[in-house]
Amino acid sequence: MLNRLSIIIGGPQGAGLETSAQILTYSLAYLRYGVISDREYFSNIKGRHSYVHFNISSEQIPTSLTYPVQLIAALDHETVFTHFDSLEEGGVITYDVFTEEKTLDTTPSMEEDLKIRLRKIFKELGIDGSIKSLVRYISEDKKIHSVPLNYSEIINEAAKKLVLPASQAARYVSSIIIGAVSGLTNVKKKAIEYSLARRFYDRPELAQQNKVIVETVYDKVVREHGPILELAPSKLNHREMMIVSGNDIVAMAKTVGGVRFQSYYPITPAADESFTIESYEKLEVDGLEIGSILVLQTEDEIAAITSAIGAALTGARASTSTSGPGFSLMVEGLGWAGMNEAPVVITYYQRGGPSTGLPTRGSQSDLLFTLYASHGEFPRIVLASGDHLEAFYDAIEAFNLAERYQTPVIHLLDKFLANSIVTLPVPDLSNINIDRGLIIHNGGADYKRFNLSTTISPRAFIGSNCIMWYTGDEHNELGHIDEDPENREKMYRKRMEKIKIADEEIPEEKRLTYYGPEDADVLLVGWGFVKGVALDALKTLAVKGIRTAYLHIRMFSPFPSKSVEKLLERFDKSKVITVEHNYLAQAGKAILINTGVRITKEVVKYTGRPIYLNELVDGVLKILKGEDRVVLTYGP
Amino acid sequence: MARKPSDYQSDIWNDWCPGCGDFGIVAAMYRAFSELDLPPEKTVIVSGIGCSGKTPHFVKVNGVHTLHGRAIPFATGIKLANPELTVIVNGGDGDLLGIGVGHFVALGRRNIDLTIILHNNTVYGLTKGQASPTLRRGLRPKALPKPNIQDAVNPVSLALASGFTFVARGYSMMTEHLKELIKEAIQHKGAALIDVLQPCVTYDNIHTVEYYKKRVYKLEDTGWNPKVEKIEEKEEKIVKAWMKSQEYDDKIPIGVFYQDPHTPSFEERIKERIPSYLETPPARQKIEREGKTIIDSEAFRKIFSYYIVETE
Repeated sequence: MLNRLSIIIGGPQGAGLETSAQILTYSLAYLRYGVISDREYFSNIKGRHSYVHFNISSEQIPTSLTYPVQLIAALDHETVFTHFDSLEEGGVITYDVFTEEKTLDTTPSMEEDLKIRLRKIFKELGIDGSIKSLVRYISEDKKIHSVPLNYSEIINEAAKKLVLPASQAARYVSSIIIGAVSGLTNVKKKAIEYSLARRFYDRPELAQQNKVIVETVYDKVVREHGPILELAPSKLNHREMMIVSGNDIVAMAKTVGGVRFQSYYPITPAADESFTIESYEKLEVDGLEIGSILVLQTEDEIAAITSAIGAALTGARASTSTSGPGFSLMVEGLGWAGMNEAPVVITYYQRGGPSTGLPTRGSQSDLLFTLYASHGEFPRIVLASGDHLEAFYDAIEAFNLAERYQTPVIHLLDKFLANSIVTLPVPDLSNINIDRGLIIHNGGADYKRFNLSTTISPRAFIGSNCIMWYTGDEHNELGHIDEDPENREKMYRKRMEKIKIADEEIPEEKRLTYYGPEDADVLLVGWGFVKGVALDALKTLAVKGIRTAYLHIRMFSPFPSKSVEKLLERFDKSKVITVEHNYLAQAGKAILINTGVRITKEVVKYTGRPIYLNELVDGVLKILKGEDRVVLTYGP
Repeated sequence: MARKPSDYQSDIWNDWCPGCGDFGIVAAMYRAFSELDLPPEKTVIVSGIGCSGKTPHFVKVNGVHTLHGRAIPFATGIKLANPELTVIVNGGDGDLLGIGVGHFVALGRRNIDLTIILHNNTVYGLTKGQASPTLRRGLRPKALPKPNIQDAVNPVSLALASGFTFVARGYSMMTEHLKELIKEAIQHKGAALIDVLQPCVTYDNIHTVEYYKKRVYKLEDTGWNPKVEKIEEKEEKIVKAWMKSQEYDDKIPIGVFYQDPHTPSFEERIKERIPSYLETPPARQKIEREGKTIIDSEAFRKIFSYYIVETE
């Protein structure tokens, strides 16, 4: 029985793979397993290859993904071609026997680059390149256990049982995947039934129809092959688990944090967050409304940020969510918010750039952009979350910081986090505070919005009992245009000094976390989604006798300079490695700018796929052998 | 005691060129505000960039002087977060119909209760007289090195096509008439445009006071009825108004072209979904209780039960 299991389920976009993944995750969570899964997909609605990569554990909530995998469940032949190489020796592959004659030539959806690489491999292996030849090869040579299933037969049988036209039953083909995976891993039927009922709570007939297919496949697989990859019963004892994507958890956090105005323009991978908030626009508990949120889909990202700023001026907690191309459009608005000390939150899910880049793939290449975006100088706060739980707390804290320091806050996330689904204990809300900063409710006739007697001026809302002016021009205390050099110097300094106050007030230990033994020899430095894989790498490296620690940076502005500098001093320079999803090792540059310390070793990845545990460990080992830079590329 | 027009005048010295048409617009606003007795703290003027962008500084109500082209989305956020505010956008032709035209169209689609006062002088004044989107092809105001080779957009036609439910044109030298238009626009529940012809005395030597004096006439003097009395008339009225908007050469009509009180405002549409919206809009909700969130652990579990699995 297995305590750990990695699985890939793959198929064409639009064939129901997401539903399969959701049902499987619910079922695993119901049985108290820890799960993390990453969804990889093209910028496409239907037909291109997509897959979900799971890491399941009976001992802990896993934080990273890794290769090789033990099971591949293929909805189509492209999945077999794309992933066969990722199987561990002795692993299992399930696929449709109907596709056995398929070759690369009959796989038009596959990109030519991969076909060229595969043709070369097939030639070297001496196989003809059909699915049949490939499965035979991996079965013999890599001792892969193949579980061929006849998808159309299964569908037809189910159609008969359900008295449905076969064409309708065929819509549930993704349930074959659920049946195969759960049968092979011995995930109880009861759990699947629970999950189907949950997923299709409003359409019980769909739950029933899918259940028939799942159980047909489940029984067949167990009968013919047995639960080859049986999962050990979970040692975790959570009574409840949340199942959330990064988008979901941020949406929930904003709701808790009091967002009342959220604007957005559709963009991958940010838009789902706004949809989720909109689903909860009326916050109701036991039939009583405790609040409501206005979600506005705007005509572009410029309108998204400027309308959010407008809402913020009236006192509503306001935010917008976007990705790189959208943020590029928001930059002028960001500067206005900086100039006018407007508390607005920008939730920024990074994806592969530049330009359209890899619109559905992950990246961490916008750190330096967010730190310096917009002309002129003004303070901003930049937070970066490393996992779902951090994202939850940071999304709330972003509003507190924005209002406390009256400045735009950029909350950096990435596609990896946005689309990865994890099981998570329900976050503790008891320690969450709402800090609205310095607010004045009776400003009266003499109110000055930019009162210079304090660095952070009391903020009145438009619509309270006083009037105020805002302008993107340099302004005086009232908010009127003022180009006087003395006023300019005072007002400029007032703005800039807010970041100094933030730096003094926000404890550095909240802005970074050091993981691992105090006397570690090797230090990994990272941020964002690197956290999970870095933490797992510490354990793997420890087993190899390498005492490794991980420095996780969670706030880049104001930067925790003193702590970072002190920490880095403790390590041999040749053993400090930045680990990042970008080319430049941007956090390394931010450290250099803020502390003067140059990190010379880097492990980077910019293929748009997440850093996997196996390759990170290899990368660190290469650095320790003397390489300065390792570029990771694993993953289809 | 009702507020006087001078009560709305700020202390800021107005640095528009002497004789600028914009003075007429501000004067009309002071009078309109006074006659409506608008509370300054519940009134907001939002502007973009350019000569018109300075408008908020000259008026003693809340003023938000924003980015080039973006006055409408800023105003959208202000109004939707606190719909009890009276929000008036002042923007130039380059601002609202050039760089910001997407927002102009989007406002029509939403029919938010905003008043848009378009300072239409056919040139970019503050950058020294370049052609604006309302300058017609073939014309060459004095700063242009060559005649304009881009066609003009007609603000009234575009507003009608975009869904504005109050569409009017005023002339800055006829402040009494303009004042009435501003009052009507503010009182109209929905997106209102007033296209204000406003001579740029410095850079536009074509559209002068003389030019307009010869051409401008009042729609109401011709028995024009802009109002969609019944929703069934909407199509007919909008077509008529659009046809009228094309009249722009020898004779230039001013007054209300079109008014549709039936199409629901955006605020009403939101209220359909969130019944409490107008009583407790985003700006007026309490989001904390003694520094703590109003959603506690129990409420969280209830609200987000969809995401929580009770284990076996």
